Amino acid sequence: MSKIKVESVKLVKSKSLGRGNFVFDLAPFSGVKSIKPGQFIHIRMPESKLLFRRAFSVYDFDVSEKKISIIFKVFGRGTAQMSKLGQGADLDVMGPLGNGFKLPSRRETTILAAGGIGMPPLYLLAKKLLDKGFDPDKILFFYGGASKADLVDIGRIRKLGINVHAATDDGSYGYHGFVSDAIMDRVNITNGKYRLYACGPEGMLKALDELALRHDLPGQLSLEAPMPCGIGICLGCIKPLREGGYTRICREGPVYNVGEVLL
Amino acid sequence: MKPDLSVEIAGVKLDNPVLTASGTCGYGEELADVFDLSRLGGIVTKSITVEPREGHPPPRTAEAEAGMLNAIGLANVGVDRFIEEKLTFLEKYNMVVVVNVAGARLDEYVGISRRLADCPRADMVELNFSCPNVESGMEIAKDPARAEEAVAAVKKVFPRPVIAKLSPNVSDIKPIARACEAGGADALAVINTLVGMAVDIETYRPRLTNNTGGLSGPAVKPVALAMVDQVYHAVKIPVIGIGGIMDWRDVVEFFLCGASAVQVGTGLFVEPDAPIKIIDGLRKYLSRNKLGSIKELTGKLRKF
Repeated sequence: MSKIKVESVKLVKSKSLGRGNFVFDLAPFSGVKSIKPGQFIHIRMPESKLLFRRAFSVYDFDVSEKKISIIFKVFGRGTAQMSKLGQGADLDVMGPLGNGFKLPSRRETTILAAGGIGMPPLYLLAKKLLDKGFDPDKILFFYGGASKADLVDIGRIRKLGINVHAATDDGSYGYHGFVSDAIMDRVNITNGKYRLYACGPEGMLKALDELALRHDLPGQLSLEAPMPCGIGICLGCIKPLREGGYTRICREGPVYNVGEVLL
Repeated sequence: MKPDLSVEIAGVKLDNPVLTASGTCGYGEELADVFDLSRLGGIVTKSITVEPREGHPPPRTAEAEAGMLNAIGLANVGVDRFIEEKLTFLEKYNMVVVVNVAGARLDEYVGISRRLADCPRADMVELNFSCPNVESGMEIAKDPARAEEAVAAVKKVFPRPVIAKLSPNVSDIKPIARACEAGGADALAVINTLVGMAVDIETYRPRLTNNTGGLSGPAVKPVALAMVDQVYHAVKIPVIGIGGIMDWRDVVEFFLCGASAVQVGTGLFVEPDAPIKIIDGLRKYLSRNKLGSIKELTGKLRKF
């Protein structure tokens, strides 16, 4: 009982990352101790007339400061309003919600495949693996976007000391093409030593899901959908499962095994 | 003296007048992660049908101005699994369990209600005659004679209180309300959602695969209050107010318009612990206004 909490937090820092992308630091958040990479928080602006909360993957957290960070891109009315909030603004936060990633085994090489604003949960996963003493050489971070400016906060990923491979649709930076193609170009995924984790636009996830199924590459995908309630009661954020029926992204997800969801 | 929040619906006592509305709280399992369900006056389960239903394909919810549209399509586990798993889960909570029943035909309402008659944990049934997202329910909701027949048929097989949930998508709600009362309904739940639509101007498509959906949330509260007032004056049985309740002030409004209890629906999506805050707020309001019981508020609207 009472595992899900709703609490008021303050926006302690807002920083523009360009191209309508922002990073928010929020504190104090009492749920900080239990966060798993892949989980999300559900945010409401108390002063906003918008009814629904908005879901954001946790990007980073600091237990001692009870601080969590999120990244978002201005997309609709909710994110547009959020982007205008100043330091000290009150936000109503519920979470952490959903299921996080299952960690790989130590002998596996981890492929983290991020697309644009889907990067945060994979950054947090990389950080967690490093904290647990995983070999940084066995963490491959593929980061794709339409253009160089869409590789949000890539410097912070590089600072982790892992292998970062950029890919852009327009070729303005790194590999010229999709993340799925960049992975095939750089890694021999067929040798059974790899595990994939991905988050990004649905088209990218679909390509990676197909690639992983084709090459027997195990892994997990983190999905996204507008979530009215975030806790499984509204049945709004559903996706069809390959075996039939629907799944609630907020409750059974947002992390799914490769092949589980019909993308 | 501590104000009395308890209310009575057809002889069944509720510790407080706040229930969670059908289709907004599943079968209680998720909300049990947020607060102790025993603090509720009661829960109204998701609509139960004879067979399990997956519901409509996504997208089936859309945000609207001060509200939302939904066309879930009665997704539910079906009556067998409901009785085995979901009703069993609710055993341990000390509150009233209202099972919402939906069907494509009258015999389905009767069949489910007959099954529930043997389940003591199903304290009441609420007949969903008014889901705007499936064709059949609406036909009963709009036709007084069929509504009366349906209530009477369920009353014959279900020995405990029967609530009829009314649709606002009618030209006059009063004849339907009276017909349900004549059929033996013990209470009326007013209102279900209003038929609405939202459009994506880039794709020219409706935002819901069902094209239309049910509008709920603060946007519908004024409609709901007016209809609760109308129904309250049209029938003698208790009225349960529903429609855009977000906080305790809304509940007071519904009581003044004639409600004897309320259901919180869409508000749960925004603040899952809204019922708890509402109950606390009501208690303070009664104390502040030196009212001994919330029952004193029902129908006390001073109309011009």
